[in-house]
Amino acid sequence: MVGYVGADVPVELLTAAEAFAVRLTGDPDADSAAGDLYLGTGVDPMARSILSRLLTGAYGELDRIVVAHDCEASLRLFYALRELRRVEPGAGVPEPYLVDVRHLPHRTTARYNRRRIGEFAARLAAWTGRPLDVAGAVAAHDERRRLLAAVAGLRRERPARLTGRQFLAVANAPLPLPEHVALLEKLLSEAAGLPAHHRRRVFLTGGDHDTPHVYEAIEADGHVIVGEDHSFGDPSFESQVGAGDLDALAEHYHRGGPYAPASTAAERAAHTAAAARRCHADLLVGYARTGDDAPAWDFPDQRAALGIPAVLLDRQEYGRADVKELRCPA
Amino acid sequence: MPSVSKPAAATRGVKSLATAVEAARHQREWFAGLRRRVAAGEPFAVVNADVPHEIFRVMDIPYVVSQWWASVVAAKQRSAHYLEKVRERGYPDYSEQYNAVTLGSAFDPDPGAGPWGGLPRPSIVVGDASGDVTRKIFDIWGREPGVTFFPLESAAENEVPANWWELMPHRWEEAIGPARLDLLTAELENLVRFLETTTGRRFRESRFREVMALVNEQEKWNRKARDLIARTRPAPIGVTDSIPSVMLPQWHRGTEWARDAARRFYEEVRERADAGRAACPGERARLMWIGRGLWYDMGFYQRFQDEYGAVFVWSMYLAIAADGYIRYGGDPMRTLAARFAAFTDQLYTPPWSSEWYVKEARLHGIDGVVHLVSDDPRGSYFTARALEAAGIPVLDLRADNVDTRTYDDDAVAGRIGRWLEDVVLR
Repeated sequence: MVGYVGADVPVELLTAAEAFAVRLTGDPDADSAAGDLYLGTGVDPMARSILSRLLTGAYGELDRIVVAHDCEASLRLFYALRELRRVEPGAGVPEPYLVDVRHLPHRTTARYNRRRIGEFAARLAAWTGRPLDVAGAVAAHDERRRLLAAVAGLRRERPARLTGRQFLAVANAPLPLPEHVALLEKLLSEAAGLPAHHRRRVFLTGGDHDTPHVYEAIEADGHVIVGEDHSFGDPSFESQVGAGDLDALAEHYHRGGPYAPASTAAERAAHTAAAARRCHADLLVGYARTGDDAPAWDFPDQRAALGIPAVLLDRQEYGRADVKELRCPA
Repeated sequence: MPSVSKPAAATRGVKSLATAVEAARHQREWFAGLRRRVAAGEPFAVVNADVPHEIFRVMDIPYVVSQWWASVVAAKQRSAHYLEKVRERGYPDYSEQYNAVTLGSAFDPDPGAGPWGGLPRPSIVVGDASGDVTRKIFDIWGREPGVTFFPLESAAENEVPANWWELMPHRWEEAIGPARLDLLTAELENLVRFLETTTGRRFRESRFREVMALVNEQEKWNRKARDLIARTRPAPIGVTDSIPSVMLPQWHRGTEWARDAARRFYEEVRERADAGRAACPGERARLMWIGRGLWYDMGFYQRFQDEYGAVFVWSMYLAIAADGYIRYGGDPMRTLAARFAAFTDQLYTPPWSSEWYVKEARLHGIDGVVHLVSDDPRGSYFTARALEAAGIPVLDLRADNVDTRTYDDDAVAGRIGRWLEDVVLR
C-alpha cells in the first residue's frame, strides 16, 4: 500500500504500478503533538495531523509515501519525512518520494513537469520490477472522473439531491478503483430515489478539506454545499487526462486546479466565479485554516468577481468553522 | 537577574566599523540617485532577494530588493502603516509580512511620505513562486498601472547530498541536480528576452562575465572576513556591524563598489583583530542568531554584552555570503542558475540547513543559539535538534522580523537573560 499526500500526485501511475494508493488525511480530533513538534505550528494543521497520524501508525503499514509539492505544507511534510528517516530512523517512517509538479503557466514549467513525471514513472517501475500499464490506468481513472462528474451533477440540481457532506464522502471513498467505480455506477442508477435538499446553496472556496468536519458544521447551520474549488472536491475530476501516456499526464497535472496555493488571485477568482454560477450558489463561503495563508489573499477578488453575498471564515482551527459568521454575510 | 537595559541608540544599535557607516551612507546616496533615474523615465524593478539580480546588473536596470525595503520600513517603525494599506485592500496583514510590507508601499496614496522619500513605482516586479503566497503578492502588485510581474518557478529535489557548502563552488551540478538547473537556466534566458523587449536594454555576454567574476570576488572577501571572525577571540565585531557591512554591498553585488566594500570590510575587521579590539571586551559567551534580521530592533543584538558578556558573533548574512554565493563554471547563465536554484534550501531545508548551522556554530565556537521562529512554515525542529545534538543550547524566539506587533522587547530580553544565566553561562 502506498500513501500519498497532496493534489498533484499522478495517482494513475500508482495504479499503473498495481499499488493500492490511499490519499492520506488528517484528523482534527486526534492528537497532533508529533506533527506540531516536527513541522512547527506555522504549517497548515492538516499536514501536521497527517504526520502525527503517520507516526502513531494510524494508516497501518505503508510501503512508501508519495508527496506532492502542491503547497508549502506538503513540501515541508516531505522534508520532515526525509529528515526523520535520516536522523531518527527508529521513528519508522516509510520511504518518501516527492513528485515536484509545478504550476506557472509557462513552457519551461511544462517541460520540467514532464521530466519529473517521467522520473516518477521510472522510479515506480524500478520499485515494482514491472513495466507500467499507463494507458490502462489513465482510462480507469478517467472513467471514475466521468462518473464523479455525473454524481456532482446530482448535487448541483435545484434542489440538490446530495449534500456536500455526502458528496465529499462519495468522491473520496478510500476504495480500490474498480470497487469505487462500481459503487458510483450503483449510486447513479438509484439517483431517482435521492431526497431533495431545500437549503441555502453555498459554494465553498479556500483551502483543502480532508475531513467532513467543516462541511458538517456549515450544513448543520441550514446550508447545502453545492460546489467547491479545493482538491478533494469538484476540480479533482472535472478534466480528464485523455491520452494514456506520460505527456498527457504531465499536461493534466500542470493545469490542475487552480488551487489556492499554486494560483494567482485572478486565476482563482475567474475559476470560482464560473464554478459558483454553474452551481447557482446563493452564498460564497471562503475558508482558511490558521497556517493556510493562501485563501485569504484570493478572497477579495473572488468576492468582487462573483457579486453574491460572501463570507470569509479566516484563521479557523482545523476542522472547525465559525458558522455564525454565515448568518449575516456582506 | 541583572537588568537588561536598552543602550542609548535603543532600536538601531551602535556600529563600530567605518565600513558599516560608509555602506549606510552609500545606500542613501544610491537611493537618491535611483529616485532621480526613475523620475527621468528609466525602468525600475523591485525583485525578491532570491531572484538573480545579476541579470539586472548586466543590463543596468536599477532594482530594489523587496526585503531590503521592508527592512528599511521596519527600522523606521513604519511597517504597521504599510500593513494597514494591505488590509485596506481586503488582503491579510498577518501573512508573509516581509513581502506584504513592500506591497503596501504600492497602495500608499502618499508614497513620497515613505522612508527616504518613498519607494518609486516600479515598472517590473520579479519574484519566485515559493511558498503559497509570494507569487500572489507580486501578482497583485503586477496589476497596478504600469507594473509587469515576471514570475520565476520554485522547484524542489528528492535526494540531495548534505555537504552543499563544500560542493557549491565547483560541483554545484552534483549538489543541486540537473532538473532544477535546466529549469532556472531556461527561465533566466526568457527573463533576459523579456527585459530586452520591455526596456530596450541590451544584455552583453562580456559584461555578464565581468559581473559574475565581481560577485565571486566580493563573496570571497566575505569568506575571509567570516573565517577571521570565527577564529578570533574575543570577536572583533558583532552582527550589528557585520549585517550592514555585508548586506548593503550584497544588494549591489556585481559592482566594483560592492567588491571593494567587501574588501574594506575584511581589512577593517583584520585591523581590529590585529589590535585586539573586541565587540565585547569581556566576552564570556559567543551567540549565534539564526533567522532574519530583527530590523526594528537592531539594538537587541548588543543588549546582552554589558550585563552578560554575551555577544552575537554570527548571523546568516555574512555566513551565507561566505558559503552560499560563490559559483564557478563555464556557462555563466547556468552558473548563475546554480547560485539561486536551491538558494533558500541552503538556509531553510534540512539536511542542508541543519548541517550547515552546526558546521558554522562549531567554526565560530558558539556557546548558544537564539533562533527566530516566525509564524510561517519553515519550522525549527531539525535545526534545533542538530545543534543540541552537537552540544549547543538553542532558544527559540517567536516573532516576525518586520512586524513589530508580534514582538515584546522587554519580555524577549528578560527571557534571553534568564536563558543566558541558567543555561549558557552556567
